[in-house]
Amino acid sequence: MASDKELSDFLKSAEKRAFKRVVYAVRDDHAALDVVQDAMIRLAEKYADRPPAELPLLFQRILSNATMDWFRRQKVRNAHVRNFSDFESSDSDGDFDILETLESMDALAGSESAAETVSRAQIMLAIETEVAALPARQREAFLLRYWEELDVAETASVMGCSEGSVKTHCSRAVHALAKALQAKGIGL
Amino acid sequence: MKNSNTQVSAAVVDALQARLAYRIAGRLSESAETVDADVAARLRFAREQALARAGAVRAAAPAVVRAGPSAALLGGGGWWLKLASVLPLAALAGGLFLIQHLHTQSQIATAAAIDADLLTDDLPPAAYTDPGFVEFLKTPRE
Repeated sequence: MASDKELSDFLKSAEKRAFKRVVYAVRDDHAALDVVQDAMIRLAEKYADRPPAELPLLFQRILSNATMDWFRRQKVRNAHVRNFSDFESSDSDGDFDILETLESMDALAGSESAAETVSRAQIMLAIETEVAALPARQREAFLLRYWEELDVAETASVMGCSEGSVKTHCSRAVHALAKALQAKGIGL
Repeated sequence: MKNSNTQVSAAVVDALQARLAYRIAGRLSESAETVDADVAARLRFAREQALARAGAVRAAAPAVVRAGPSAALLGGGGWWLKLASVLPLAALAGGLFLIQHLHTQSQIATAAAIDADLLTDDLPPAAYTDPGFVEFLKTPRE
């Protein structure tokens, strides 16, 4: 059973990334804060007796559900049909090579000119913009897998899909981000 | 030769993807640490609200689990409740036993009185079986 301190420490460590993750999805700071608070309270009310090791995965799942609930409420409120399921971009990546992009980005990272032309804050902003522009499922898979550092099975559990789908979403997300950042001349 | 024509295995592609993905995630982590002060304050408030709820749930749960729902309703607990629930049943059983005993004693006393009257009467008991006595009983009295 997680103590109050363990629960507090966990929430403190997770709250900012949770906020950012929801902002990428809902694109509104106030709404994101509401969703995060809702998820925190759900976790505290229903799962505070769980061991501390279980809290991260539970919280990610609750946060995903709370975000989905927000979209459902918005859909009802606005009577606006919004496709929150898997939707893909229309442009084709047929002629895109990840290795070429990475080598190009490595070269950019090694040179001083990239750092001089684009400030650190601008790079962060550009990355956030591109992450936010990803299709919802790709973004969720990418953030859970690489930002929250869940493994493939855990990511699939949180997203309610197969492990194969997680791999596909992650691969497409990384390709899309690499392509977009390369187009902006951003090396990592 | 162009890199697009380079033959790389799926494992290498996966490794390259993961490397890029973790670099991007690292930048996102840097960005996440620099939220506005009002957002940080709101997150702290949300955390405190959640912890307060967790404390309330924890405070309520053990009392109900230990004493059960009836104790939660009555506001008490322990052996007093068990005694209070068993006592009326015990009193009822004792009362029924006492009534049965008194009823039996009453029947025995009545039978003994009849027997005593028969035995101490001047008329012998054998006279009650005499046919003439039966006729006497059937004859209407004037």
